[in-house]
Amino acid sequence: MADHAFASGDAVQALYRAHHGWLHNWLRARLGNSFDAADLAHDTFVRVLRHRHELEALREPRAYLATVARRLMLNHHRRRSLEAAYLEALAALPPAQVPPAEQRLILLETLNEIDDMLDGLPPRVRQAFLLAQLEGLSHAEIAARLGVSLRSVHRYVTRGLEQCIMVVS
Amino acid sequence: MHHGGELRAGLAGLPPVDRRAARQAAGWLLRLNSPRATEADVRACDAWRASKAEHEHAWQRAQRVNARLGLIPAGLGMASLNRPAQASRRAALKTLAALAAAGPLAWAAWRADPFDWTADLRTGVGERRSVALGEGSTLELNTGSAVDIRFDGARRLLRLREGEIAVRAVADAGPSARPFIVRAPQGDIVAHEARFCVRLLRGACGVSVQEGALRLDPARGPSLALAAGMRASLSAGGASEPLAADPHAVDWLRGVLYADAAKLGAFLAELGRYRPGLLRCDPAVAGLRISGAFQLRDTDAVLAALPATLPVAVRYRTPYWVTVGPRAAGA
Repeated sequence: MADHAFASGDAVQALYRAHHGWLHNWLRARLGNSFDAADLAHDTFVRVLRHRHELEALREPRAYLATVARRLMLNHHRRRSLEAAYLEALAALPPAQVPPAEQRLILLETLNEIDDMLDGLPPRVRQAFLLAQLEGLSHAEIAARLGVSLRSVHRYVTRGLEQCIMVVS
Repeated sequence: MHHGGELRAGLAGLPPVDRRAARQAAGWLLRLNSPRATEADVRACDAWRASKAEHEHAWQRAQRVNARLGLIPAGLGMASLNRPAQASRRAALKTLAALAAAGPLAWAAWRADPFDWTADLRTGVGERRSVALGEGSTLELNTGSAVDIRFDGARRLLRLREGEIAVRAVADAGPSARPFIVRAPQGDIVAHEARFCVRLLRGACGVSVQEGALRLDPARGPSLALAAGMRASLSAGGASEPLAADPHAVDWLRGVLYADAAKLGAFLAELGRYRPGLLRCDPAVAGLRISGAFQLRDTDAVLAALPATLPVAVRYRTPYWVTVGPRAAGA
């Protein structure tokens, strides 16, 4: 058991030595920024370290690293775009409604969690869910706004909740 | 996975549920959230939850989803989460700096209560709130806590969603002498006239009695009588054996965090409840011992005072990201 873990840890190190430079360049070419690339390269190897049992069967290490990195990159883009949208929304609020500084980060973190939970839902489902759960619109109002039947709205909102319930931590 | 991952992993621990139970829980949540929800709906949902452990697990997850959604003010959530797909391009914003620089301090836009059938009370991080419940009982909410209140002809029910509350329940003057019930995911705490605290953190529920007596009705297992000066915990397995209550369990009512040779790691975890952002303790110093009575009103001052008594350094990456670690060599 210990030998196995040791060997796998070794494998990660070998992987790191052989491919870290390549991965960093690969990410930098896609992100256009060396800092984010370094962060994500690091995260990729952390990921690999956690799933090191998968290394045993690894034949194409760079394809594997690129797959992990691509997933992290998508996530990274998602977070950045959420942050941007959030800051824009904050800037658009009347001054009296802007949350105090100490709340803003917590809110952003919670928004990130919700964004993660909703990841992969079709746009309509997502929209119906948000209108119902965040805006408090009735299902009839949502049906009118989205131009779909009441039944569909009910199904969308249920589906959104269902997914959140499945993945919430 | 990403920056929030570790933090969330630390708070996790909910049992997984299958899609079927999740769908049913979603259905119940929608039904109970509807303005037309009746007491019969509530009872039917209770029966559904009680019929299978998996249902209850799904329901707990649903509550957690609800709590997350409940934190988001309407306009802000929609504008942020409903962004168009093409916004998923890189947005090279220095978020922390921009957040720190943004706008004034008033905060009026908390969204309306997501439950139509309850009065929902919530405190933010670092906030404490005192509430008169109308029939003479009082409720105090500690930092980061949420309860639903539902008083009806048969009972006085508080549903504790998360956090910590102190209750002073008076005997009901009405003809039906309604019991006072605090409902936690792990079970009910039933009182008539008592002063007690309930703490629901990271899936654990602790109860301590300062005056009077309580009955604990765990979701599973036999009931337990709990007298003044005692504490017990409720878990999925039932009620624990009663132990002597910590006399400092209610210090938070006075805004004090008391430590008696507590481990620094545990102390900071507790202090962190009262402080927005991340407060991390380096494992290298987590075992150091700390004693004293600390004012919760100013957690920065508490942190600033640590290096005077312990061999630690307090590092602020941002005001919301603080690490307590060993002092650098030669410093």
